[in-house]
Amino acid sequence: MQIVGTDPIIHIENFGMNFGKNVVIDDLSFDVFRGETFGFLGSNGSGKTTTIRALLGIYQASAGVLQVFGREFSPEEGGKLGYLPEERGLYKKESVIDVMSYFGRLKGMQRESASAWSMNYLERVALADKAKVRLDKLSSGQQQKVQLGVTLMNDPELLILDEPTKGFDPVNRRLLMDMIDERKRAGATVLMVTHQMEEVERLCDRVILLKDGKSRAYGSISDVQDQFGNEVIAVKSTNTIPASSNYQILQQEQDGSKLRAREGVTPQVILRELVEAGVEIEKFVPTKPSLDEIFIQVYGDENPWGQV
Amino acid sequence: MGSGVVMRRHNLSTVISFEVLRTLRKKQFWMGTLLVPFAIAVVIALNVLSNNSTTQSLDSQKNAKFNFSYIDASGYVNPLIAEAVGGKLTTDSEKAIAAVKSGELEAFFYFPKDPTKEAIRTYGKDGGIFNNGKYSAVASQILKLSAENALGDKTLSTLATEKFKIKSATFKDGKASGNLGDAIPPLLFLLIFYFVILLLGNQMLTSTQEEKENRVTEIILTTLNPTTLVMGKVISLFVIGLTQMAVFTIPVVVAYAFFRKDLHLPNLDLSSLNFSPRPMTIGLLLLIAGFTLFTGTLVAAGAIMPTAKEAGQIFGVAVTLLFIPFWIVSLVASDPNALIVQIFTYFPYSAPVTAMIRNGLGSLSNLQATIVIAELFILGVLVLRFAVRLFRYGSMEYTKRVSVLTIFRKK
Repeated sequence: MQIVGTDPIIHIENFGMNFGKNVVIDDLSFDVFRGETFGFLGSNGSGKTTTIRALLGIYQASAGVLQVFGREFSPEEGGKLGYLPEERGLYKKESVIDVMSYFGRLKGMQRESASAWSMNYLERVALADKAKVRLDKLSSGQQQKVQLGVTLMNDPELLILDEPTKGFDPVNRRLLMDMIDERKRAGATVLMVTHQMEEVERLCDRVILLKDGKSRAYGSISDVQDQFGNEVIAVKSTNTIPASSNYQILQQEQDGSKLRAREGVTPQVILRELVEAGVEIEKFVPTKPSLDEIFIQVYGDENPWGQV
Repeated sequence: MGSGVVMRRHNLSTVISFEVLRTLRKKQFWMGTLLVPFAIAVVIALNVLSNNSTTQSLDSQKNAKFNFSYIDASGYVNPLIAEAVGGKLTTDSEKAIAAVKSGELEAFFYFPKDPTKEAIRTYGKDGGIFNNGKYSAVASQILKLSAENALGDKTLSTLATEKFKIKSATFKDGKASGNLGDAIPPLLFLLIFYFVILLLGNQMLTSTQEEKENRVTEIILTTLNPTTLVMGKVISLFVIGLTQMAVFTIPVVVAYAFFRKDLHLPNLDLSSLNFSPRPMTIGLLLLIAGFTLFTGTLVAAGAIMPTAKEAGQIFGVAVTLLFIPFWIVSLVASDPNALIVQIFTYFPYSAPVTAMIRNGLGSLSNLQATIVIAELFILGVLVLRFAVRLFRYGSMEYTKRVSVLTIFRKK
């Protein structure tokens, strides 16, 4: 875990959001610290995008405090923010360079520097020859590169990426990850909403898991694994493991068994019970579940991938 | 000045330049804009050419000389003049017509008892479609020269044709008033108002549609204050409207300056136009306030609709509102105190047009002008604010029509 700062760049406290009588978010609190990469996880409809939109003032929160850069977000601070929304799009009938320069200027850049930044970026992503081409004449992969460029313009302090790899082809996904890494190394803070657990494990310092508008786990990846971990225990014994209400036997073979601890039961309790039951134990290894397994465990009763 | 204000100004100018430039760079805009002046230029050119050849043709035809007979039931034709162009008096019209038909006689004219009420009839040998006009030209010329000869004074005959100028002066409360020269300058604002709304109304309706249809709203709302965006779009539309007006006006000005005689345009005495500060200031304020109200309303209506096509349906309603005051324009001119005129003067959506007409005609008092301008400005600003709100919360509804009630209920 690498947390550069301890002052929260994003602060959410007791946030609640209702659409009519429908409670979408209930008493949500978390911080994102300066310089860290934070994973905002949850299944479809769990309230992630709603939280981001409320944080950025697109939606009005029903309750709570939502702060970016130490105060309620204002578009005047948009220059410090790189936002890649879930619903993506740009002015399709305008040329690539015009659109990029426009957003650069809206982020506070001067005309010349916005244009120069855009050309540098386009050269980097091999689109320099398309600078004067209308966006709707580009392939979807090329449009994604331009969208990413608009997000990264003005070298933002904070990147908020809502499902960043959604719809991206593998080449652009790689490009995106490289750029996130680059911004991270430059000291930027990244808040990433995603379903891709391998990305989270590779990039994120801390995460929050949201289910039905409530936080289910919050902390470093290791903390979250601890919260959901120690549940699957690999046991090697010389004799048969007896059934118990404290655990579920997932697998029992000659070369070893796997037990899943019941909720609230620690590995120590299970170990003591096995010893007291006369089981001769050669190996007893509580294993931490991967984020993928945790995700499935938390959202196991629903379709966690939704339409993805 | 705070950095927020500086940023808002920077963003406002960015939005205006982006919106104006991207419109001016579009081929469709110039095709649409230049079509009208091009059509005007073509009509003017054809008119000039046609008028030149017609004038030349008429000149040669009316001076043509050929053998014809005529009957003068009016007694106004001078036989010497008719004779000079080849005419011979006859008494038998049937015989003369038969001679024309057989080709023995080139033409026969019949001048009726009262040429001001009955038509002069000409019968002639066919000389081709372009030459046949000489018969009527010569018949007219004979009668005209006979009339001038009878009067014995060319000025008298000119006066008889009412080709003279009159300069009128009327007074109200001891001051000169009621001249057309007073009315025209402030009424130009009405022309601009109609022009801008009719040409750009549809663009106003769909101005925020692009953000919605292109799913660009979220990025916009996090980089730009929605008020700045909407204001930038409104101002850029006004700039584009004025550009179009300038383009449309150029051929008219050129035509008047260089081809006035060829086009038989009246010689306007521009010195008679009175650009008085009071009606001009009121006209300008009514234009800006009316533009604000209509633009705000159209932008708000557009923000509710999910697509440009659906938004376009509202345009017809807006145009109807613009033309309603013209149904009572004669009453506005003759009886500005009539109840219906008063209602139209103060009802927000008929107020700009009615008040601008009354301002031009000089029947809008200072108090009435102040009330209408204040009302339009206040309502215009409120509607624009509501339009911003609708855009802010409505534009996230990408595919469905926004409930106005829901937006009102939001804090």
